Amino acid sequence: MTIWLTILGMALVTVAVRAIPLLAMRGEMPVWLGRWLGYVPVAVFTALALRPLAVTSGDAPHLMAGAPLAAGVVGGLVAWRTGNTLATIIAGMAAYWALRVFT
Amino acid sequence: MIPLSTPRRLTHVRAGFLALTPLWLGAAPFGVIYAVSAIAAGLSPAQTMAMSLFVFAGASQFTAVGMFAAAAAPAAIIVTTLIVNARHLLLAASLSPYLRREKAWIRLGLATQLTDESYAIGIRQFLSGRGSAAFQFGANISMYLVWQCSTLAGVLLGRVLPDPAAYGLDLVFPLTFVGLLVPLLRRRDSQVVAVSAAALALAGALWLTGSWYILLAGVGASAVGALLRLQIVDC
Repeated sequence: MTIWLTILGMALVTVAVRAIPLLAMRGEMPVWLGRWLGYVPVAVFTALALRPLAVTSGDAPHLMAGAPLAAGVVGGLVAWRTGNTLATIIAGMAAYWALRVFT
Repeated sequence: MIPLSTPRRLTHVRAGFLALTPLWLGAAPFGVIYAVSAIAAGLSPAQTMAMSLFVFAGASQFTAVGMFAAAAAPAAIIVTTLIVNARHLLLAASLSPYLRREKAWIRLGLATQLTDESYAIGIRQFLSGRGSAAFQFGANISMYLVWQCSTLAGVLLGRVLPDPAAYGLDLVFPLTFVGLLVPLLRRRDSQVVAVSAAALALAGALWLTGSWYILLAGVGASAVGALLRLQIVDC
């Protein structure tokens, strides 16, 4: 039930941010607000990428530099060269499996 | 904008639909990966489908799945969804001058299915002077269709797959964000934001409970970027 209510809440806030400007906005958004929001994806993507790759899960989280982080670095290099997210995933997974098999 | 006759309108819907089809190749695998990750995170098939049907925002769906997997508080998931999707305020705002004369229910309908991809296709057509609400609707519905079909495929596939983590498939999620993030880092200001976010996210992951590190980095690092822009005019 909690999951259903969470999905409902997600749907409502997402419709709100999509619909409010189209239904209500007449003038321009303040420049500072637009800039702040414009950086949110970079900040959130960084956080979401880094935590599973560089921090252990569990009760006492600590930094780790293992196969997941190596996979992330390989994926990052491929992403820089190709700009392709699928290629990034494939390269990162390949690096992870190579480390699993050969170490 | 001159109102279109019904046959012209259908032509525009079809043109918008077809203009987005090349992006299906990029979207479909992520719909499958989303669904497989969602099932792995403990969502039921119906919940996985419902999120695609009613939220319909890829990055926030991936984010939510990651937070569900981390047993985050519902309020944290909803607020993070709001933050991740807040960029739609900008997309919708930049479309509003072109759609101002459309009826309110048409604008609401277009808004509910707006995505980065369909916005990009639709606004390009408006900028070239050939855009219309019908064209935007065609692009929107094209993206909506491929997202629902690929989510369903992932749900069906995910139910016969063994534990994804046993194959390192839990890395698909962070690697997806690496792939989305890194091409954005060609700009100096984005690099500063990413470094700030990395510091805040690691500190938050080590010393805060649950998934609040995402909010900490999402709000804090983007504020650093905005403040930086106040200091440097051409960044």
